[in-house]
Amino acid sequence: MGQGKSQFTEEELQDYEDLTYFTKKEVLYAHQKFKALAPEKVGHNKNAKLPMAKVLTYPELKVNPFKDRICKVFSSSNDGDCTFEDFLDMMSVFSEMAPKAVKAEHAFRIFDFDGDDMIGVSDLREVIQRLCGPELKLSDSEIQQLVQNVLEEADLDDDGALSFAEFEHIIDKSSDFCHAFRIRL
Amino acid sequence: MDDEIEVDPRPLSSRRSFTLRNSAARQVAVNFMPSRQIPYNTLRLRRNNTENNALLTDVAEAADEADNADVQANIIVREMEQHHQLMEDTPDAEELRREALRELPQGLTMKRNVRAKLSASVSLRSKRKPISLWKRFKYRMSFGWKRTKDRMRDLVFSIELWYEAIRNIEGHFGSAVGSYFYLVRWLFTMNLLLSGMVILFVVVPQVLHDKPDKTVNFGFWDFISGQGWLEDSLLFYAHYHDGAVVTAGLSYYMPFAYFFTMVCLYLTCFAVLCYRTAYSYRRNFIETGGGVTLIFANKVFCGWDFGIVSHKAAEFTSTSIYNEFKELLSEQNRNKVSMPVCVRICQYMTNIVATGLVLALVVAVNWGLWHMLEAETAWAGWELAVSALLTLVVTLCPLVFYGVVKLEYYTRRTAVYVTLARTWLLDMGALMLLLVYWSRSNTDCWETRFGQEAYRLVLLDAVVSLLVLPAIEFIRALIYKLNPDSSAPEFNIAYNSLTLIYNQGVLWFGLLFSPLLVVAVTIKFFILFYVKRECALRACQPARKVWRAAQTQTVLYVLVTLSLFATLFGLGSLFFRSSSKVCGPFRGYETVYSVLSEGALRLSEHPAAATILAFFGRPGPLAFILLFLCVSVYYMRARALAHSSMVVILRHMLVLQAKDKDFLLNAIAKVSNGEWSYSPKAAEGPDSHTWKYIRDVRKPSNSGFHFDASRLSHSFGDRPRSRVKEYRPYSHLTERSKSNDGDTDSSFSWQGSSSRLAQTEDDKRWP
Repeated sequence: MGQGKSQFTEEELQDYEDLTYFTKKEVLYAHQKFKALAPEKVGHNKNAKLPMAKVLTYPELKVNPFKDRICKVFSSSNDGDCTFEDFLDMMSVFSEMAPKAVKAEHAFRIFDFDGDDMIGVSDLREVIQRLCGPELKLSDSEIQQLVQNVLEEADLDDDGALSFAEFEHIIDKSSDFCHAFRIRL
Repeated sequence: MDDEIEVDPRPLSSRRSFTLRNSAARQVAVNFMPSRQIPYNTLRLRRNNTENNALLTDVAEAADEADNADVQANIIVREMEQHHQLMEDTPDAEELRREALRELPQGLTMKRNVRAKLSASVSLRSKRKPISLWKRFKYRMSFGWKRTKDRMRDLVFSIELWYEAIRNIEGHFGSAVGSYFYLVRWLFTMNLLLSGMVILFVVVPQVLHDKPDKTVNFGFWDFISGQGWLEDSLLFYAHYHDGAVVTAGLSYYMPFAYFFTMVCLYLTCFAVLCYRTAYSYRRNFIETGGGVTLIFANKVFCGWDFGIVSHKAAEFTSTSIYNEFKELLSEQNRNKVSMPVCVRICQYMTNIVATGLVLALVVAVNWGLWHMLEAETAWAGWELAVSALLTLVVTLCPLVFYGVVKLEYYTRRTAVYVTLARTWLLDMGALMLLLVYWSRSNTDCWETRFGQEAYRLVLLDAVVSLLVLPAIEFIRALIYKLNPDSSAPEFNIAYNSLTLIYNQGVLWFGLLFSPLLVVAVTIKFFILFYVKRECALRACQPARKVWRAAQTQTVLYVLVTLSLFATLFGLGSLFFRSSSKVCGPFRGYETVYSVLSEGALRLSEHPAAATILAFFGRPGPLAFILLFLCVSVYYMRARALAHSSMVVILRHMLVLQAKDKDFLLNAIAKVSNGEWSYSPKAAEGPDSHTWKYIRDVRKPSNSGFHFDASRLSHSFGDRPRSRVKEYRPYSHLTERSKSNDGDTDSSFSWQGSSSRLAQTEDDKRWP
């Protein structure tokens, strides 16, 4: 972890430590990983902005069905391109130390494809389709039935979409969410 | 939105498609709700709030990016400032601010911006008065504490054992298999600490006491059986000295050292395990409980394991999620056909019979073990043979139980729990039996014999789990490679975890009688980690079914804790029986307990204290304490039941309130969109409430999202048509208001209350 040290001052590290769920060492480690995505660019400018395609070569993101959404949610320019700070933010939210509520907040944004602050029927369909992967396709009526079941379980106010509060309720009741929604540095 | 219209032919769907989520007015109204105005909420979750605030203050003239960010930061800071706890100028408040900033769902730049503004605001607010010496000391302490904590975390991260290895495994097999390796690591760390303590306080003094002139004739057979030259070695109880160890003028009394080290270690482990188990139980069972089952929602939102790295694992996960969805749907369709009663009774009967058979098997194993132990043979290897047989039984029985549980009718998760419980019962039963057998036997130094038994079990199990099982896995992998149609070897988390628990159980039982056993187990776990890792990475395939680990892990912790509890129970009762007179550190005492009562406390010299202790040891007070505990457990249970029924009521209320909200919002949306055609009665003057309302609300400028919070205080009575049909009791109100002011639109009844109010006032004036 020594070689990354030169790129950051002590204050910057302290700053990152205050604002994320990472310790200084972990920040440096994260930077090492970020640097591995584009060694030259990042070596030049430690906070370089990497295009989304580059960020998606990160091993955990590469196979993730929601990879583009993750990048978009964490990108400060909202187009999926990530600077190191965006990347650090992402890793911080996915880390073990981040509380459930924070994870839930970001998960909600990831699953909210159309950005209307509600997980509606179309969002749910998208989530289900992506979960099943590119090869396997559920039939339309099956997806419909699944969506219906999800809404029946979780849509407390019957408005045909999951608001954040309802989503958080699901997450609160799930013992597996924290295990699933986690990327180790 | 288009797909939303044909949802499902159930009665509520009509209202679903009716939703006006798109309506900006509705969105605005939602943001005016009190719950959205609470600072904490807005701070954390209403990123949207800031957007909508911007919406309110005119989106059209959106300023440039930087300005916008500044405005947002200002809004967030304003919201945080309402939190007085956050704004104090103390280290605690600073910590709180740090937490709040971390939880902010914004990018780092925004957080930094907010922090700068916040600290400026805090220093502006703080009254600059000199801090007292005590406070300064306190602050310094808390800063120091925080810094040490951060440094500790830094240190832990840099020395974290097997970090990359476990991460790699998780990437290939998902977090469930990872959790097994975490269990190994955790047990390894705990045992390592235990070994350190035992070596430091018990073994090293004994080594100092020992004369190094012994000639050791090493024999392989002895090494396995723990007999011969090993019998009188540091490994076992009998070897330990019963007096003071004197080195260089310092005296160290061995019986005390042995007794207190062991008791402290056992009790500390028990406390740590209890805490951990309770924590895990609370997180995975209590907090997530409450009578709701969100099966589908869980599968959809928590289905993907974000830690997966390899393409193969990702493919497997997709497939398994796909299959799970299919299974769930078909199960749901099947459930509609209710099962006949006799079939269900048959299923219960099968379960009961199978459980009975398994219990019979456990009893039979124990019975056989007892008789084998009693059978005195001249053959020197007999004891070793008994241990080997026991190891074999312990290894094979779980597989039998897995087979049995497949014949029964349990859900998948319950089946795993049932198997775990049965295996645990078998293991603990056998160990307990060994302890009872040796403590009742008339051998001179039964403690050592039991220690030897535990040592043999650990050693033989090491052979099985480090050599035999991996070999089998690799052979299975080879078969799979040659014949891909056969079933792929998967990493069996439950079975592997059970071996760990069994090992730990043996250690709990044996630690007192064989202090160095803990070192052996530690080394074994260390090797086991690497062996299992190679097994998993080279021989195993990712699981075909997604295994949810969180709750199972809790159950594993519960089992480890229970085995320790059983041990404590067994050993505790032995403490009051007589100890061996010829060997071991306690040979000078009547019972082990008297090390404490006579040796350390010298109770015989303090008759009063002795009487008090004796009093509490008598059945009467003990029964009273037990009764008290029972009553308090009952009380807790009653409270928990009351709470859970309250939860049901509250949930029901929540649904009702949500419906009310929905209904009101629809009304608002209608009002502000000007959807009504309303023709007022000619008799009503321009001063009537209705008119005022219409003038204010239905102004063209109001028809969009330009909405004033104060208007929310108006009472709206509009109900969607479907609702009016559903709720008959209200319909008379609608009709009445209709007759009162001649409203042409039946859904337009909001003014009913206000106009009737106006009318009653009129009535008062002109009776």
